[in-house]
Amino acid sequence: MNSIVNSFRREARRLAADPWDLAMVTWVPVLGVLVLWWIFSAGLPRHLAVGVVDEDHSSLSRQLVRMLDATPGVQITQHYTNAAEAERALRAVEVYAVVTIPRDFARTVKEGRAAQVTLLHNAQMGTHSGLLQRDVRAAVGTLSAGIEMAARNKRGESAQAVRVSMEPIHTQLVALFNVSSNYEQFLGAALIPALLHILAMTAGAWTVGRELRDRSLGQWLGDTPGAGGILSTAGALLGKLALPWATLTLTGLIALVGITWGRGWHPPGNLWWVAGALALLLAVSLAAGAALAALTRSLRTALSGAGFFAAPAFAFSGVAFPLSGMPGSARAWAEAMPFTHYIRLQIEQLQMGAPLATSVPTMVGLIAATAVLWLVATVGLHLAAQRPATWGGR
Amino acid sequence: MDAQMNTAPRNLLHAWLLALATVARDKGVLLLLIGAPVLYGFFYPWFYTDEVLTRVPVAVVDMDHTSLSRQITRFADADPRIEVRLVTGSEREAQQALWRGEIEGYAVIPANLKRSVVRGENAVVSIEANGAYALLNKAVQYGFAEAVGTVSAGVEIRKLQASGQSAQQARASRAPVQLQMVALFNPIEGYGSFVVPAVALLILQQTLLMGAALLAGTWVESGAHRAGATTWLGRLLALCTLGWASGLFYFGWIFVLHDYPRGGNPLGALALLACYVPAIAALGSLLGLWFGNRERALQVLLFTTLPIAFMAGFSWPVEALPEPLQWLRWLLPSTSGVQASLRLNQLGAPLVAALPYLCALVALGAVCTAALLWKARPRQA
Repeated sequence: MNSIVNSFRREARRLAADPWDLAMVTWVPVLGVLVLWWIFSAGLPRHLAVGVVDEDHSSLSRQLVRMLDATPGVQITQHYTNAAEAERALRAVEVYAVVTIPRDFARTVKEGRAAQVTLLHNAQMGTHSGLLQRDVRAAVGTLSAGIEMAARNKRGESAQAVRVSMEPIHTQLVALFNVSSNYEQFLGAALIPALLHILAMTAGAWTVGRELRDRSLGQWLGDTPGAGGILSTAGALLGKLALPWATLTLTGLIALVGITWGRGWHPPGNLWWVAGALALLLAVSLAAGAALAALTRSLRTALSGAGFFAAPAFAFSGVAFPLSGMPGSARAWAEAMPFTHYIRLQIEQLQMGAPLATSVPTMVGLIAATAVLWLVATVGLHLAAQRPATWGGR
Repeated sequence: MDAQMNTAPRNLLHAWLLALATVARDKGVLLLLIGAPVLYGFFYPWFYTDEVLTRVPVAVVDMDHTSLSRQITRFADADPRIEVRLVTGSEREAQQALWRGEIEGYAVIPANLKRSVVRGENAVVSIEANGAYALLNKAVQYGFAEAVGTVSAGVEIRKLQASGQSAQQARASRAPVQLQMVALFNPIEGYGSFVVPAVALLILQQTLLMGAALLAGTWVESGAHRAGATTWLGRLLALCTLGWASGLFYFGWIFVLHDYPRGGNPLGALALLACYVPAIAALGSLLGLWFGNRERALQVLLFTTLPIAFMAGFSWPVEALPEPLQWLRWLLPSTSGVQASLRLNQLGAPLVAALPYLCALVALGAVCTAALLWKARPRQA
């Protein structure tokens, strides 16, 4: 007990004396969270630049261009006279896509034959092209349906009958759980914990690794190395990690509440459950950083390791690219990372409104992982404390 | 080492060799400048090997139990995007399978679907996909929409034919304006092909930035950062040498190995590396002077990768960034680097299309180098 309190006080004095170290667990995380939130605050990208090659110059083709331009996600910025010009513009990314309306477009439609409009999209920019495909498809579909409806009305069919016979079986697309496709709620909410995960693992590696680099391990764990026993080392580690854990968790919780209730978004699941999981994720991250430092006995190597595990954690967590699409070995790696499990729980609660029972194993797993890593770090430090010759590695 | 660093180099070549020798003796710098780029070149693409999602598990909630509903299920199962893992009569069961992660979406075929279709009444199949995961959502919606659309078109064409139109006329009058979508540059619309070539530029920047800052921080600790222009230019050149090597490794080999879109404008890509790497080396050294501590570079820079990635304009459209960020992001070499590399490597644009980005990099590199030489100028005795 004594070792926890002593270590906590020592860490508080150390942080107060070093503005850089204090910044990295206080205002830098807050700033990072704010920047991420700011990036996604618009919610949905609008006005993506699209070019048009109108070879028809009819009122119908102009109507299509107007309809495209009226779609919030699309902005018609350029008119090109031929395909070569359009291709050059696509290569230089002056526009993300080009809509080509063929000669005789209006006449073909009038004669009751099918006319084809082509969307050339830059698939190398996956996000842009995905959004544009959806929006252009919708605009062309609306135009097409309008033409058919008018034609059939002319033939004397009632509007209701037309709508049914046009498409005997409708499909109703329901995007469960993220109805507005709001990226602030989707990406912003997932990236903030990912950022804190990196900062926490860095903080764990830094605070323990620094004692090794500065050869102050003996001073921290008690002047006669190993004398306090392994329990005292475990307590000292707990006391040391408590402060960064508290400040980072507090930042995370404020961000969580801010991005949900603060933005008028009332998620269907249990916010407290997510808050608990976030606190555990940051505990695991700190313990993992500490274990890296204790095992490598080098601050620099521990930080490199923290970067290797934590920095790409978001990219491999299944949010952007699903786990089921990964090769088995890569998926096993992804599933060994705590962030993958945390973010599944967060999405289940914030977006899907899943019952808590589905994520009980995640909570248990996070607790167990924290305990194991804490133990590993304790044993590593206990061994390191007995060999002062190995301290001071850069 | 200090003694060697303090002896003034005879010329730039000598300064470069001295700096290279220092780098070669520093395990930490070597790990960041050689180890990390090589490792990430294999590690990052590993997760996206399969590029496109196929056979996403789904369920069909069939409350109709007719030949028509079975036809929809068969067509859905035949679609390459989805695989029907569960056919059930209860939506609740499908919902629970969704919670457990066994399926990613389901279609609900209502009771009396066939009767409604035969009578010419409105019939709706609702497709419920997990909107929390964008790619899965798209695969499930398109997969089911295609299956239902095919069945629906079959029904309608038969009806129109019954009313005396030819099959071709029937098809045209069903959809007078059709949309053909052509994926350029990344024809399979692969996720790895989209993400990794852009992330490669971020990997180059972050590893070199940390390596340069770590080295400069180490020099500050020993006082060796106070040095003349020749010494510093030699140091920057040594950092660039390793940076260029990693750049060539990605452009010339990693892109080829993983068969990503590449090689559009090889000379342009070399010009990009010539501008990109020095800007990073100078910025990294400047940061190292400010940190003044060997390990601080890693502590401060590790987390920045995440916000930087979303400001670079590939995974998140710049149009959606707040106005001040649209300006501030040009202070990062990666912003210009990713945009120029996309044009030169993947799209094969002429150099002129990437020129503004290269100019931004040269300007950034020049300003950082000037600031570095001034901040680290030798103290007058």
